[in-house]
Amino acid sequence: MEFRPIFSALLRNKTGAILVAVQVAISMAILANALHIVNVRQAVAARPSGVEDEASVFYMNVRNLATMGPEEQSATQKREAAALRAVPGIVSVANVSQIPLTRNGSTNSVAIDRKQVNETANAAFYVSPDSLVKTWGLKVVDGRDFKPEEVREIDIQTSQDFPPVVMITKALADKAYPGQSAVGKPLFFGTGEGARETRIIGVVERLQSQQAQVGVYGEYSTIIPVRMLGFPGTVYTIRAEKGQRDRVMKEAEQAIRAISPMPVILESKTLTNARTERYRADMAMSWMLITVSVLLLLITASGVVGMASLWVQQRRKQIGVRRALGARRTDILRYFITENFMITSCGVVAGVLGAIGLNQFLVATLELEKLPIPYLVSGSVVFWALGVLAVYGPAWRAASISPAMATRTA
Amino acid sequence: MFGYYFKLGVRSLRRNPALTALMVLTLAIGVAASVSTLTILHVMSGDPIPTKSDRLFVPLVDNGPVDGYNPGDEPNDRQLSYKDAMAVLNSKMGERRTVMYSVFSAVEPARKDIGAFNTSGLAPTHDFFAMFDVPMVYGQVWGEQEDRSGADVVVLTRTLAEKLFGNVNPVGQRIRIMGQTFQIIGVADKWEPLPRYYKVIGAGKFASQDEFYIPFNSAIRHEAGHNGSMNCSSRRDPGFQALLDSECTWLQAWFELKSSADRAELQNWIDSYASEQHKLGRLKRNAPNKLYNVMEWLEYMKVVGNDNKLSAWLAFGFLLLCLVNTIGLLLAKFSVRAPEVGVRRALGASRKEIFHQFLIETGVVGLVGGGLGLLLAFGALGLIAMQSKAMATVAHMDWKMLGFTFIMSVSAAVVAGLLPTWRACNITPAVQLKSQ
Repeated sequence: MEFRPIFSALLRNKTGAILVAVQVAISMAILANALHIVNVRQAVAARPSGVEDEASVFYMNVRNLATMGPEEQSATQKREAAALRAVPGIVSVANVSQIPLTRNGSTNSVAIDRKQVNETANAAFYVSPDSLVKTWGLKVVDGRDFKPEEVREIDIQTSQDFPPVVMITKALADKAYPGQSAVGKPLFFGTGEGARETRIIGVVERLQSQQAQVGVYGEYSTIIPVRMLGFPGTVYTIRAEKGQRDRVMKEAEQAIRAISPMPVILESKTLTNARTERYRADMAMSWMLITVSVLLLLITASGVVGMASLWVQQRRKQIGVRRALGARRTDILRYFITENFMITSCGVVAGVLGAIGLNQFLVATLELEKLPIPYLVSGSVVFWALGVLAVYGPAWRAASISPAMATRTA
Repeated sequence: MFGYYFKLGVRSLRRNPALTALMVLTLAIGVAASVSTLTILHVMSGDPIPTKSDRLFVPLVDNGPVDGYNPGDEPNDRQLSYKDAMAVLNSKMGERRTVMYSVFSAVEPARKDIGAFNTSGLAPTHDFFAMFDVPMVYGQVWGEQEDRSGADVVVLTRTLAEKLFGNVNPVGQRIRIMGQTFQIIGVADKWEPLPRYYKVIGAGKFASQDEFYIPFNSAIRHEAGHNGSMNCSSRRDPGFQALLDSECTWLQAWFELKSSADRAELQNWIDSYASEQHKLGRLKRNAPNKLYNVMEWLEYMKVVGNDNKLSAWLAFGFLLLCLVNTIGLLLAKFSVRAPEVGVRRALGASRKEIFHQFLIETGVVGLVGGGLGLLLAFGALGLIAMQSKAMATVAHMDWKMLGFTFIMSVSAAVVAGLLPTWRACNITPAVQLKSQ
């Protein structure tokens, strides 16, 4: 192949070639990192919450304006739950203290030993007198769900009571008791003298915390079987029959209003909605990055086309001479494509270094993740292909220059 | 000559439409990307209270447990316990001081046509309004007397007042909040500092606004639950009084000093307070006590998210690419005009003149690119604002950014034009004339 003559021709007119190579390098450095971030974000947003068929689940916040004593509140909660269960299309109802993905709720430090100084983990604290396993479709992988007789009523304003049993997620079980079954083992809420001892009776495969943090911290959750009294509002989470959610949501609100003697404030939201809001920033970021990536490719391509057109324009006469001396069209075509390939390759090499450098900068300043090698490989392939595609048009025009050109001036 | 060259520049836009359009578009996209991300960063990280930001201080003492603590560790929490907050209030340090927490409550309007609804409010002490320059529409704020007695008075925000009473002065009316009757004594004007620096911890930093203000002691007296984060390192007894006696941290406190030079004095006070408490058996960690002024506090609380910084970096990388691209395109555009330059040079134009002409021409490209870039930036900001309410409050452009866009675009084009222009004026006239 004619690498050498192309190379020496390039050396005589470096500016344009350098400009193209720099463009390829910059866009490749940005593109590889951007796509990596997009993939990380999309993966984060696609993590399962542990709730089966989220699209059928919603939750409702009921706030009674009347102030009630604990007995009255307990009776009201039971009446409300019964009214909800009577709504056609509702599969299951549970009174619960917090909902995954809503970023609103409490966590507790848990430990496996009373003498422990530092907590084992900080885990989400789900409190429910009903079966979350049933309503949310959690998978019990070890042990069992709570029995109705294990449920306690606790008035947080006056009582220090705490239930003796707890269910935890598999991630928490693996952290607390690695390599063994956690069922039957103790779990302490808090550390030191005041810690509350409970016994683990069941392990669910997965239930994300209300924050759904990135990483394993978002998978640490505990459930205790308690009807909590003394809070101003009650949250019910409800599973509707498939496809019935929106209708059931309206009817559930009507059902609560119908049985409440005093006006109530009702707020219902779907779990799908909570998920969208939780990951809104991530999705917005990935769409922005995708847009930028597409623009990057377009601009780089336009740069290649622009430069190649200029060169073809400048070399019209030389091309004519080559054609007159017997070069075929494919030779001319090949010349330009090879030339472009050489420039793009320089750009790609610089781009790989740039991508690694940029990634290191991002890791250091913005706490991002390290860039895996496949992004560099696929990035290189993309830019080689882009270069060849972009130069094809101008190269074809060059190949179409008639040999008669050699006989003309200018 | 400037006007003439400018006219020539405008004309030459039409000379090679495809190339010019590409150039203008490249520049416009680069400018739009960097301006829209920069606008958001500018709004997010701007000084929310420029006249006072170096005189307002957040005090922080670490009351975490000593077990598992190593000197130099992050403090247990970034809020204060009731005990420490009361010490701040009673300290008599600085010009003013305030303690606050967020409440969330049902509001029952007197009018029957509006049902009850949930809304969030703030329970500060009376100095809050003067410290943060809260503008008032009607009435006034409460004073020291009401603070001490925990009077049932409320200052509404304009939004809530208009929702409840329409466009009339509601001062003197009554309203039920948290199941109690409060008397309205004032209405604060629409006041949305960005970020919500006076209470960063808890509710959203950018979108949410408090709808009413009640005296701190009134909220405490009615045992109003705290809406936001609370950190309890040890178990506490049930009930509200136990919360006040506990080491749970949940309150936000601020000092206002007469001048930033008094900072050392305040630091002395907080240090001596902490060591006194240490002797009494509290604040066991003996960690350094901190003071943060407004900008230091926003930085410490990481109010500007990493995502925004990432977008800004990305946008600048993108602008750089657009610049390199524009250099290439300008090089192409100018190189076809070598004969023209040759003729001008042969007719006596100096290199300087050629340099001026071509630089002005690139300036014209920059101007057009800037105009288009501005339109695109508005579009992009509109799209970003649609993402969420929080983004809507930060994604708007002010005159400063508008001017900055134009300057940036023109100077970007001129910078990009330097190399091609320099090459254009180095053309040897003889060669060009000969080949014609």
